[in-house]
Formats: sequence, C-alpha cells, structure tokens
Amino acid sequence: MALFEAQHLHKRFGDRVVLEEINLSFEAGQLSGIMGPNGAGKTTCFNVLTGRYKPDRGKVLFDGQDITGMTPRAIARKGISRSFQIMNLFDDFSVIENVLIAVPQVRDRGFNMTRRVAADVAAMDKAAVVLEQVGLQDKAYENAGSLPYGDRRALEIGVALATEPRLLFLDEPTSGLGIDATARLSELILELKHAYTIVIIEHDMKFLFGLADNIAVIHWGQVITRGTPDELRANKWVQSSNLGKLA
Amino acid sequence: MSVPFLEVDNLRKEYSRGLINKRITFSLEANFSIEEPAIVGMMGPNGSGKTTLFELITGSNLPSSGRVMVMGQNIHDVRYDERDRLAIHYHQSYQVRSFHRTRPKFMMQPADCEYPMVHLFDEPQFNTQDGYIGFMLDFFRKLRGEGRLVFVCLHPNEPFHLNIMREVCERYIFVRDGSLTLADDFDKLVELEPVRDYLGRLVDVA
Repeated sequence: MALFEAQHLHKRFGDRVVLEEINLSFEAGQLSGIMGPNGAGKTTCFNVLTGRYKPDRGKVLFDGQDITGMTPRAIARKGISRSFQIMNLFDDFSVIENVLIAVPQVRDRGFNMTRRVAADVAAMDKAAVVLEQVGLQDKAYENAGSLPYGDRRALEIGVALATEPRLLFLDEPTSGLGIDATARLSELILELKHAYTIVIIEHDMKFLFGLADNIAVIHWGQVITRGTPDELRANKWVQSSNLGKLA
Repeated sequence: MSVPFLEVDNLRKEYSRGLINKRITFSLEANFSIEEPAIVGMMGPNGSGKTTLFELITGSNLPSSGRVMVMGQNIHDVRYDERDRLAIHYHQSYQVRSFHRTRPKFMMQPADCEYPMVHLFDEPQFNTQDGYIGFMLDFFRKLRGEGRLVFVCLHPNEPFHLNIMREVCERYIFVRDGSLTLADDFDKLVELEPVRDYLGRLVDVA
C-alpha cells in the first residue's frame, strides 16, 4: 500500500473548478514529482494534500489513515513536513537555531529564548547532523538572513528534515534559484533520495526528470498524464522541445 | 438509447448598444449537433465568437434564442453549480464569469454526470519550448478514448498550430463574424475559401 494517497479530489473556488478528479499515490522511499505549467493548479493541489484547503470531494490517506480535513498542524504532527515556495526562516537567528527550533524535543517543550537551547546536547547533535545532511555545517553560526539564496533553500530543507518527517513535501524548490544553485540543490536532493519519502512540486521539467522515480503531470487542475521520467521523455513533443535538445 | 452529445439548436446570441435606437453590435448564430465522441477543432479570428459559443455551451452565458442540449439536458435548466458536470470550459484568463441567476435552485435540474462529458479547451497555450504540448494532446486523446467530446479552440498564428490541429482533431468548425462553417476533415476545411483567406500562407507552410 502506498504511504500517501489522494483519491478523487475535487475542489472549486466559487464557480471555478480548480481541482478535478485528482488521484495520486506516493510509495514509501520513492521520490515522486508533480509537474505542470504555471497556473496549472499545482500549488492548490499541494495545499489540499497538506491540509491547508479542504477538498469539496475526495479523500487524502496517510499510512492508511484518512487525514482529509485535518488541520495543517495535525497533519504535520503525523510526520508530514512541507517547505514553501516562499521561504519561511527566522532571519535574525543563526542557521543552527533555525534547525534547533524544529527538532522534536525542543519543539515539544516550547521554544524559549531565555533558556539556553545550546546546552541541550542531544538537540544540538541532532541539529548538527541535519546541517551536515544539507551541507551547511560550516555556516552553523551565521545569521540565516545573511545566507545566499541557494543556502537559504538548503536550510529550509534542513528545517523540514529536523522534524524527522515520514514524508517530505517540497513546493517549487528551484524557484528563484540560478543555474548553479539549482544544480547544487539537485545534488542535495539526490543525497536525501531513498532515505526519505519525498514529493516535489515543480514546473522545471529538467530538474524533475533528473531526480524523480515517477511524475504526475498536472494541468487544468487534473492529472493529464503520469509515468517515469523515461516514459515522459519519450513523448515526441518533449523530444522536439528545448528540453529534448538538452537531455 | 442514443442521445446526441451536443445539440446546438437554432442558437442565437445578440449584443446590442443603445436603449431606444437599438443597434446590434455583434450576433452569433449556430445550429449543429454532434452525435458521438470526437475531438473537434475550432478556429477563427479573435472576436469572431468562439469564446461566446463556449460560454453558451457551458451555460455561463444566456442565449437570445434557441437552446443548447448537452447529453440530452438543456444546459440552461441545470443548476448553476452543476453545469460544469456536463460541459466544462478551460480558459487561460482568471476572469470568472458569474452566472445570470434567474431561477432558484429547486426549480432546476441536477446534472446527470459526475465528471464532465464535454470539455472545451479555449486557446490552450501551445509552446514548443517546454514540451507540455505532447501531454496536452495525449490528454485530449484520453478523454476522447473514454467516450467524451473535446473541443480545442485556437487562433493559429504559427504553422505548428495547424499541424497540431491536423494531428489531433477529427472534425472542424470555422467561426467568422458570428457564423459557423463545419468541415468533416482537415483537407475539406482548408479548401474552404474563407478559411484560406483567414489562414493565408500558414496553409501552404503547414
């Protein structure tokens, strides 16, 4: 059974249908992609999967349990972590503090600046491991606000990993990144692949083709096709596009 | 039983200006029916009435006279929030048209479908750069394969637009100045004088 499943999702805003008959399933240990042009409904879909919006019809299942309509907070507590297209970091705090806040034992007793979190050896160790995973070990005590954009993205993923997620959702991780930063991000995600169950929402086809085990293409609020990167790449229009020339 | 997918029955839509001295600024007339699943290509200049026709088919615009039957149901008698279970209009703009609500819900019919039977794609953005075209065309074919009716509306301005239409569509409708001409295949379509006139050199290149 898939770790995460969406069945027959339907969502409308007023008179407009934004999601129509969405069926998705993400297997444990796999990297799944959701791809589509701008305005196709990817982020709305993501928001329904992670509890931000309630679908008008359909179900979302995590580990066999129906989580439809649960609050984002309750869903996060079940072990589903998400990053945002727009960065959410505490700029005035150091890199390691940003990660510490998300470590479960710190989070559970409530974060308090008057207490010295740094004295908690177990939490510090955990944060150090995470920083190493995302390649930021040398910048642990820099201010998050001073990091270049690519590092901020990596830190954001680090914050998500610190929560020890069973499923990690990444929303448009390449947005705002240049070619070099995108390539570094791609390497970072390859390192995490198979150690985590990851779902990436992305409009950059090339990026996903290099990473994902399988991809669902969303357009007009529907899954218009799905397959492995090789299957999708075989399409003659993909072949004749810029992407085909690059790949 | 064989109910036609779509019956556009003596449909007429007029837009006029002036209260006392009414002048008709635009009128659209259509009368055709489609009996079975198909992918229908619709072409015509901007402002010729393509989108208006789509709006009339989905019931988001009211006809001046005539009617539209989708799967045997008069679309304008179906509940506003269920009309897109019969016919759905995909358009690029985020402009949302609100329905002309003239009757309370209990006086209207529910839709007989869960997932729309008629899909109207209004100027899908075909861009050869990113490779999404192929997935869009596959989706049109998938809907058609499931026994649905698909309209693809385009104002071609590149030779590959015509190639797409020829590749994916089985029959065609040409719209100009609010009137429709139907063609059974691509060759017959481009033989039509007004179509040649409209497409110009694109026909020879494609």
